[in-house]
Amino acid sequence: MARVIRSSAATLAIGYVLLALVALVLFAAPLRYAWQATIDDFRFELLHEDSQRLTHVFDLRGPGALAHFIDERVSMQIAGERMLLFSDPAGRPLAGNLPAWPASIPTRAGSYTLPVDLDHRRTTIAMVLTALPGGYRLLVGRDVDRFTPIERRFWYGLAAAVAVLSVAGLIGAVLIRSALLARIHSTQQTVAAIMRGDLSHRLEVRSSGDELDTLAQTINRLLEQVEQLVHGIANVSNSIAHDLRTPLAELRSRLEELALTRPPAEQAFAEIDAAVADVDGVIRIFNALLRLAEIDAGLRRSNFVQVDVADLAARAVEFYLPAAELKGLSLSLRDPAPAWARCDPVLLAQAINNLIDNSLKFVAPGGRIEVGIAAAADTLAVVVADDGPGMSDADRPRATQRFFRGDTSRATPGVGLGLSLVEAIARLHGGWLELADNHPGLLARMIVERGPPAAAIPRQPTGLGEPRRDVETTA
Amino acid sequence: MKILVVEDNERVARFVTKGLTEAGHTTDHAENGRDGLFLAVSERYDVIIMDRMLPGNIDGLTIIEALRKADNHTPILILSALGDVDERIKGLRAGGDDYLTKPFAFGELLARIDVLSRRRRQDTAQTTLEVGDLRIDLLTRKVTRGARAIQLQPREFKLLEYLMRHAGQVVTRTMLLENVWDYHFDPETNVIDVHISKLRQKIEAGAERQLLRTVRNAGYMISAEPPPGVA
Repeated sequence: MARVIRSSAATLAIGYVLLALVALVLFAAPLRYAWQATIDDFRFELLHEDSQRLTHVFDLRGPGALAHFIDERVSMQIAGERMLLFSDPAGRPLAGNLPAWPASIPTRAGSYTLPVDLDHRRTTIAMVLTALPGGYRLLVGRDVDRFTPIERRFWYGLAAAVAVLSVAGLIGAVLIRSALLARIHSTQQTVAAIMRGDLSHRLEVRSSGDELDTLAQTINRLLEQVEQLVHGIANVSNSIAHDLRTPLAELRSRLEELALTRPPAEQAFAEIDAAVADVDGVIRIFNALLRLAEIDAGLRRSNFVQVDVADLAARAVEFYLPAAELKGLSLSLRDPAPAWARCDPVLLAQAINNLIDNSLKFVAPGGRIEVGIAAAADTLAVVVADDGPGMSDADRPRATQRFFRGDTSRATPGVGLGLSLVEAIARLHGGWLELADNHPGLLARMIVERGPPAAAIPRQPTGLGEPRRDVETTA
Repeated sequence: MKILVVEDNERVARFVTKGLTEAGHTTDHAENGRDGLFLAVSERYDVIIMDRMLPGNIDGLTIIEALRKADNHTPILILSALGDVDERIKGLRAGGDDYLTKPFAFGELLARIDVLSRRRRQDTAQTTLEVGDLRIDLLTRKVTRGARAIQLQPREFKLLEYLMRHAGQVVTRTMLLENVWDYHFDPETNVIDVHISKLRQKIEAGAERQLLRTVRNAGYMISAEPPPGVA
């Protein structure tokens, strides 16, 4: 029993039942009193009518006639219908069905409800006492105790209702608890399987759409993300092992060859310079991977500030312009209207740079690269479109994997982390990276959330360098 | 220059002090924070190189803060394996003047120290910068080479201005990325090379003397005379 009570569903059910009981009592009490008062009022009204009738007889025909009238009435009435007593000024009974003027009764006229001794038993009488001219007194009453059984029935009924409610409530509590336990049990089993290492399990979601289902769905989404992250980590470890082995192996053979062949100083130093460059390459990969890990862990979300993304794009275009011109490519920014978003400016700048850099690597001379911002209410997209060779349908979904190099790009420099960095940055900002066919070429869209409106957040601090344009003039 | 190196890693310390000595500087070396602080306050140095991770889990930043509180304004270059922008800001806020992440190229270190040591001697009321017959008027933003007027785009102007403010000093690609473009990450730095060659084309037309030089394995320099060992 104690365990049932400890269950939160049972506690809820019992609480509800108690509430219903309290409501029932609060409902029954005024009802009872209203009922009581109505009956009382009605009863006294009848008694008053009777008194008035008898008083009328007294007034018209005198005490003798009244005594006679009362005796007739008593002989005709059904037992206990009325208590009647007509007494003379000295208090001696003249007519009626009471033996004597009861002791506890007041002398003043009026309506009373009092206990009275009658035939050796105590009962309660509702009465109307009338003072008649000449000192005569009249009592018209009703035995009220006769009604207690009826009243008792009311209370029995109420008690029965309470009992039924309580029992139903308890049964309900037990039923709810076992139903809940059944669902939790299935959740427990799934979670146990997950904790044992199989991340592919998901919680059962019934179609009822209730709160437990919503919870299960939320947890399932969490599990998906965890599964992705864990696979991501596994991938990175594999990638690191695989793709860093190559430059490290090259470095090692270069140095070992140097040690073995002992070339003249000039050549030796040239080889050493090349070895230093190899190490720098490996360091760059490590830094990029570290940054990816940082981003994936969401550590940089605390650096978000309001930034004009169009400004970042303009700077990126301006940075790559000479390199593009050198390659005979056209690089332009379409419509530089301010577009504000809450983000990490360093990461976003890096992402935009990576997208432009990616296009720059693959577009042949004479090609075009266009950078633009597409702003919606909640999101913002940085779009880099080129008319180069683009990516094949097979390559596009894999392009953001770490160290992925498309088949056509194996000959170009770079290690394949650029686009996965862009995707990680987009995800950190609540968005994603879309790669599509630009017919011809590559259409890369990085979508990020814009975040709360400008007024709510502090502006980007200008301590890191030159002031950004538009900072002072934007609302 | 007299340089103090506070670094507990023996190999790095040897690498740095040897390189600095060969470049013509005098160096003192402290292996821990306490000795470093002692030397810094008792001697006059032109530049201090401070490692962040010091023995006894002391953060070099606390020593820098102590120095600044003691009214010591020697330029300090911070060395650290912690590379991200937040750590850099922390270092600069603590009172450091520049921040270099390990591993670093020695040429980078040398160039930055050079810039640091000359920083306080710079006259901020300068209105013109001149190297040879190349002249920038900072008030009118006009650039001239002798009699020839040169049209520069805003970023090109900024690039030239930075180079000329450090005339005769080596300016590394990383320094340019940080100070001219405010990029604190590492894009393919050969994009910078293209900016430089474009600028060079504009300021060195025809038979004019070369001013903008490439320093191998280091960066760039603008100067009227070629420095020793540079073409």
